[in-house]
Amino acid sequence: MNFSIILPETFLFLWAILIFVSDFFTKEEKKANLGYLSLLGILVSIFLLFSTGQGELFGKVYSSDALSQFFKMVFLLSSFLTISVSIDFSSKIQRHKGEFFALILVSTVGMMLLSSARELIFLYVSLELVTIPLYVLAAYLKPDPKSAEAGLKYMLLGAISSAILLYGISLIYGITGTTFLNEIKTRLIVDYLQIGPIGSGLFLSFIFFIAGFGFKLALVPFHMWAPDVYEGAPTPVTAFLSVGSKAAGLVAFLRVFFDSFLVYNFDWVTIMATLAALSMIIGNIVALLQTNIKRMLAYSSIAQVGYILVGMVAISERGVSSVAFYTLAYLFANIGAFVVAIAFELQTGSSEIKDYSGLSRTSPILSLMMMIFLLSLVGIPPLAGFVGKYFLFAAAVEKNLIWLVVIAVLTSVISLSYYVGVLKEMYFRKNEEQVKIRIPLGIRIALLICIIGVILIGLFPNPFLDFASQAALVFKY
Amino acid sequence: MSEYILTLLVFIPVAGALLLLLVNGSNAGLLKSLAFMVSLLNFILSLYLYFNFDSLNPGFQFEINRVWIQNFGISYHLGVDGISLFLVLLTTLLSAIAILSSWSAIKEKVKEYMVTMLLLEAGMIGVFVSLDLFLFYVFWEGMLIPMYFLIGIWGGPRKVYATIKFVLFTMLGSIFMLVAILVLYFMNYNYTGQYSFNFTEILQLPIPLNAQVWLFFAFALAFAIKVPMFPFHTWLPDAHVEAPTAGSVLLAGVLLKMGTYGFLRFCLPLFPNAFMDMIPLFSILAVIGIIYGALVSTMQKDIKSLVAFSSVSHLGFVMLGLFALNMQGIQGGVLQMINHGISTGALFLIVGMIYERRHTRMIEDYGGIARVVPIFSIFFMIVALSSIGLPGTNGFVGEFLILLGAFNSRIIYAVLGAIGIILAAVYMLWMLQRVLFQTIKNEENKKLLDLNLREIIILIPIILLIFWIGFYPQPLLSKMEPAVKNLLEYVEQKSDSITSSSGECDKICEKAEESSITKEK
Amino acid sequence: MIGLNHYLALSALLFCIGIFGVLTRRNAIGILMSIELLFNAVNINFVAFARFINPQEITGQIFTIFVITVAAAEAAVGLAIIILIYRQHKGVEVDRVNIMKW
Repeated sequence: MNFSIILPETFLFLWAILIFVSDFFTKEEKKANLGYLSLLGILVSIFLLFSTGQGELFGKVYSSDALSQFFKMVFLLSSFLTISVSIDFSSKIQRHKGEFFALILVSTVGMMLLSSARELIFLYVSLELVTIPLYVLAAYLKPDPKSAEAGLKYMLLGAISSAILLYGISLIYGITGTTFLNEIKTRLIVDYLQIGPIGSGLFLSFIFFIAGFGFKLALVPFHMWAPDVYEGAPTPVTAFLSVGSKAAGLVAFLRVFFDSFLVYNFDWVTIMATLAALSMIIGNIVALLQTNIKRMLAYSSIAQVGYILVGMVAISERGVSSVAFYTLAYLFANIGAFVVAIAFELQTGSSEIKDYSGLSRTSPILSLMMMIFLLSLVGIPPLAGFVGKYFLFAAAVEKNLIWLVVIAVLTSVISLSYYVGVLKEMYFRKNEEQVKIRIPLGIRIALLICIIGVILIGLFPNPFLDFASQAALVFKY
Repeated sequence: MSEYILTLLVFIPVAGALLLLLVNGSNAGLLKSLAFMVSLLNFILSLYLYFNFDSLNPGFQFEINRVWIQNFGISYHLGVDGISLFLVLLTTLLSAIAILSSWSAIKEKVKEYMVTMLLLEAGMIGVFVSLDLFLFYVFWEGMLIPMYFLIGIWGGPRKVYATIKFVLFTMLGSIFMLVAILVLYFMNYNYTGQYSFNFTEILQLPIPLNAQVWLFFAFALAFAIKVPMFPFHTWLPDAHVEAPTAGSVLLAGVLLKMGTYGFLRFCLPLFPNAFMDMIPLFSILAVIGIIYGALVSTMQKDIKSLVAFSSVSHLGFVMLGLFALNMQGIQGGVLQMINHGISTGALFLIVGMIYERRHTRMIEDYGGIARVVPIFSIFFMIVALSSIGLPGTNGFVGEFLILLGAFNSRIIYAVLGAIGIILAAVYMLWMLQRVLFQTIKNEENKKLLDLNLREIIILIPIILLIFWIGFYPQPLLSKMEPAVKNLLEYVEQKSDSITSSSGECDKICEKAEESSITKEK
Repeated sequence: MIGLNHYLALSALLFCIGIFGVLTRRNAIGILMSIELLFNAVNINFVAFARFINPQEITGQIFTIFVITVAAAEAAVGLAIIILIYRQHKGVEVDRVNIMKW
């Protein structure tokens, strides 16, 4: 067996342990160095990711392919950005600053494993490896009751959704007698040919799967935990949750769905399209009413997952490649917006949208960046979000899902009005008391990466699209 | 050179904007002169287009066609023909003028203002020269943002409302165009087996009749909102009234033309049958727009909103010309786009100039100022008369051609349109009378200063253009003619072939559906 | 003779009780316990399926062990968070823990 293909994860895990241990021996004022150390580990892991090959391990349990590599890149990038921001944010954390970084790393390892999982036990354990550190991270600001509440809610809902997912897994195991995705696929084909229409057990298990992943992805109607958790959690963790953990849920969903379930002749399109439409409509409309930027971004990310699902509903190579591509575009724009919110919060202690008034006067560059991130989230050309949405919609139009695309574009118009609401505060309103936002080094790095990502992907999407289309070739349609 | 000239025209303003970002924001003088130099350079470059344009060639010239996003068949395809040439020239000219006109009006955030103006210029030129539907959409949509900030930051008291309304209206319209573009893209794939957004390739596509109607409406909604046609015009007066002078100039002078240009460039050749079917509907809407705009203008108390509503009326003329679907009508329509850009742009400039002095735009606050500011009044007169369409001015040629075209297609539209001209004379002359003549009621008006040199320099080229086009429109018309003729012939041929072979088209459609069904399996 | 269906019925019942508990309990510890019920329902399913569907392989049992282990980890983190909540609110009723609107 070629163990080198699992090297990026192994390395990062050992690195996380190293950070855990060195946390004990580091003086309180030097803990920021642990953050830089974690960043180094991620960089090495990215290097390892692209230098190791593809292949399968443990008898098809773990497979490193273009899809997993693409998403591992997304996870590593989002965790890099998150940690880079947290170095400055950790002034708000009173104790165990080093562990904060290490927990993010462990969660990232979980995500990376998850993106390679092709067996349900492995998938479940990696999923838990993703979420359990996140429960802790959400509750990390100990004296802040909001943070504890976010931790509690996230933990309870996360555990319930895991249990629901597990119940689905147990049913599918009972029906097919295996936990390997590719074997489930063959059994389902055989079942379908022998038995015909869907049985109640299989139907239930599909529903449980969709509900379980729906919770993880915060799809409407399984979204109610997301806004509270996003608002209460430390903002870097929120950024990480909104991108990293979503992408992780997404890739697991993609694997389960396209690797095995899809063969079963079931009305997938209607179910998924309904979920996508609901997420886009409710996410965007409720986001209109928000006054807190973190909550607003939480609802907007619910809607964004709806858009991503539009690509999935197409059930085509184009669809999956656009899903992967959009995830990358979303990563930079969304984390970027959060980073600006973090910089603002560090200085002013507020995350209310109305407190952003007049920001363009005191911090023009930061405002400009926020504008670019938000416009990319809306999908205004020539930014990354536009190209991504265009391809998502193209995939759906190809399959004649015009009604879904019409809903998607109409809700995009709605989304424009609340994103623009922030711009309105920053640019059109005057506020003589607005402070100048200081941008520390870590935040500066993160902002730079995000802005380059958003603009570069928008103008020259070719290499990223190639990568995404390779990722999409992993599945057969 | 001739291959890269259009690229230069689009990206010089962008480069200029980036350059301005590096300049210290407190150095307003340098910022202004830099921005003006960049826009002037762009204008001079665009003159290269005019002088090297081959009048006999009906197709696209100065073309550049490169692959941009390979996986999706998106190309970087630019080119101009006789129709878009003058719109590009208009854009570069008005941009330079608009930057010059905001010399003293803009006092805060000069840097951001100039950057926005230059980006807006790049976007506008991009819209007129793009020959790839994806690229076109990128410019079309991307241009919203600079305009949004232009109105939102430097606008009047109700700017926040006006900007949101403007952005939501235009976005709502264009978003359906996005869907339609994607549908066209896949139709083209099913027909040719090639993924392409290239306009010249999609043009070859015989689109079945029923699909044409839907696609036509998806495109037409975007363009009709931009024009704006009655009943989608409600955003326009708000945006105009709140926008700073330069914003109004570009909005009226260039942005509105994108709608009419879109009808001519995309709706007509892509969906000829649907276009012909919709002639009655759109002609009626155009006539309603002409008369409604004129009537509402008559009642305005604010000079700027009077000019704004007169735009609705004038653009109605343009639409009437385009939907006459004959040589005179379309040529008149294109010419009138230019004329309206010049005259209404100039009207907004003049209103801006007097607003800077008195900080009011209410007609009743003025009266009798012709004696105080004679130079200003002369300019105002000339421009207003050209807007009415007095013989000898540019407006006359355009409106005459349009009415001729409308007369040849359906007399009733021409007659109703002519009423619009009469009404235009009523509201313009009445406004002139109340502002310039009568007795001076307001003491403050006695202290008004006349135009300074910069303002005169701004207006001189416009006045020259007004008379040049008014007396000798031949150079413009002759450059337009081959392109328009070609377009009309093409449309006739294509619509005939689609009508006669509609059975065959259905077959193609069925085949496409079948192939997509088999692919799904 | 007790067959697969009996086990499945038991597990389904347990799962429903768990869901009911999750939805109605006001006490965070109670909710956590209900979640444990959910996990146990899953475990019963796995073991029963392993025994009746595919007796030669022990995938189901292995899965059960993983579920138990992970559930323990989850419970540990959960309890830690609940203690944190208790310190702040002097109680673990979820009604009190509602600064943010749901």
